[in-house]
Amino acid sequence: MATGEGLISMVNWTKIRNDFPALERTINGRPVVYLDSACMALKPRQVIDAMNEYYECYPACGGRSIHKFGEEASNAYSEARRKFRKFLNASDDSECIWTRNATESLNIVASAVKLPKGSKIITTSLEHHSGSLPFVERARRDGLKTEIVKALPDGTFDIEDWKKAVDRNTSMISVVHSSNVTGTVAPMKEIVEIAHDRGALVISDDAQYAPHHPLDVQDLDVDFSAISVHKMCGPTGMGVLYGKLEHLKSMNMCFYGGDTVSDVRFENGEILPEYLPPPEKFEAGLQNYAGAIGAGAAADYLQAIGMSEIEKHERSLLEVALKRLSDMEHVHILGTNDISIKTGLVTFNVDTVSSAHDVATFLNDEFNIMVRSGWHCVGPFHYQMGIDPKKGTVRASFYLYNNREDVSSFLSGIETLIEASK
Amino acid sequence: MSDLSKNAQCVLRILASAGALTTTEILEIASTDEFADFCTDCAGGDAFVAAANQLVQMGLISKKFGKGGYRWQLVKD
Repeated sequence: MATGEGLISMVNWTKIRNDFPALERTINGRPVVYLDSACMALKPRQVIDAMNEYYECYPACGGRSIHKFGEEASNAYSEARRKFRKFLNASDDSECIWTRNATESLNIVASAVKLPKGSKIITTSLEHHSGSLPFVERARRDGLKTEIVKALPDGTFDIEDWKKAVDRNTSMISVVHSSNVTGTVAPMKEIVEIAHDRGALVISDDAQYAPHHPLDVQDLDVDFSAISVHKMCGPTGMGVLYGKLEHLKSMNMCFYGGDTVSDVRFENGEILPEYLPPPEKFEAGLQNYAGAIGAGAAADYLQAIGMSEIEKHERSLLEVALKRLSDMEHVHILGTNDISIKTGLVTFNVDTVSSAHDVATFLNDEFNIMVRSGWHCVGPFHYQMGIDPKKGTVRASFYLYNNREDVSSFLSGIETLIEASK
Repeated sequence: MSDLSKNAQCVLRILASAGALTTTEILEIASTDEFADFCTDCAGGDAFVAAANQLVQMGLISKKFGKGGYRWQLVKD
């Protein structure tokens, strides 16, 4: 059926929009237009209900208490990991580690993966600070070399730059799969092939990719993937680290304590621990059961709609936004206009105001349109492009609950701002 | 004043020593040596402007949109 978004789809996007209670709000008598999903996605009732059910019906410890509540919590917790494994198409539940966010996932790998002395870590100028800094600091800690692959001005990569940078001494590559600034999607499969050909591991920062595109870690053959659940309709404070089991097994541990051990003996005045394999090896202490259950519900929710459908829907909105913004005299878009290699976001500046923050403030104050302004935790690319990070850029990001009316309101808001400020 | 966030206190200090300033002017002053000890969260600007907007809600500063964008000013008693 025709959806009104210009694409043929079986998905009823209006019904989906109604799943998100936050969109029912009005502020000063006007509806909200939420275009900041690249920072934080809104939550559907299905996710909220799943978490509430845990707190209301079986709010117990998983994996230890033998009573009924404990059994239900354990089952729901295990089931959530299984749902996430399916979402990523990982080969084993144990390859999915619960973390607090993609940043923590990246930090775990950066600090705990075993890398040869004197080897080289590669990252890029387009990385979120969370994708670069853990590896920059790892290199500093162990005296490793670093090399930065520069993104092109439109946010894409030249694959020849990767072929030049990745050599036999390269041990680790951290690369953003979909940029939170330009929205450009990296040629991950090609990068992984180059890396593996030369014996390097790859961690894909999927914080922006996983919520918006079909993600198949086996097909991509990435060694690790870092995901933030709060960007994919799930709860805050939840993330996932995917890792190939062989790598997770060989990595050092980061945190020690309860739930990480198979035995802790006391012999000859010494405490002697024996540790569990992944995932428990990386999940010390009492876990965020409600968060994991919410994460599983979010994975289920998105998969029921279909990640390809979500990708198409977002791109249909992005196409309209990009076309009209490109025609506006005072608007300067950062990144390529090729929607076939973009996640549903557009980043830009308006030259009639001195700061991107003025755009975000104006849209919020006048129209309840919520966008993001700043450097988006990607200082290096802003510096590379000669953009003062303090002035920043404006980012409007679309998700499955947005519609054409949202895009129209946003574009009208920008036109009004330009008229009022020139 | 001590109940305010560090960012909010920084905005107030800057506006107390100047007239109406644009958003960029505030952020540039915040990153000068004079305010280095106090204004430490201005690199990306967003947290800083969020704090300024809270001060507007509290009636401590005002903002006005016009040519070139917003101008922020201390509300005098």
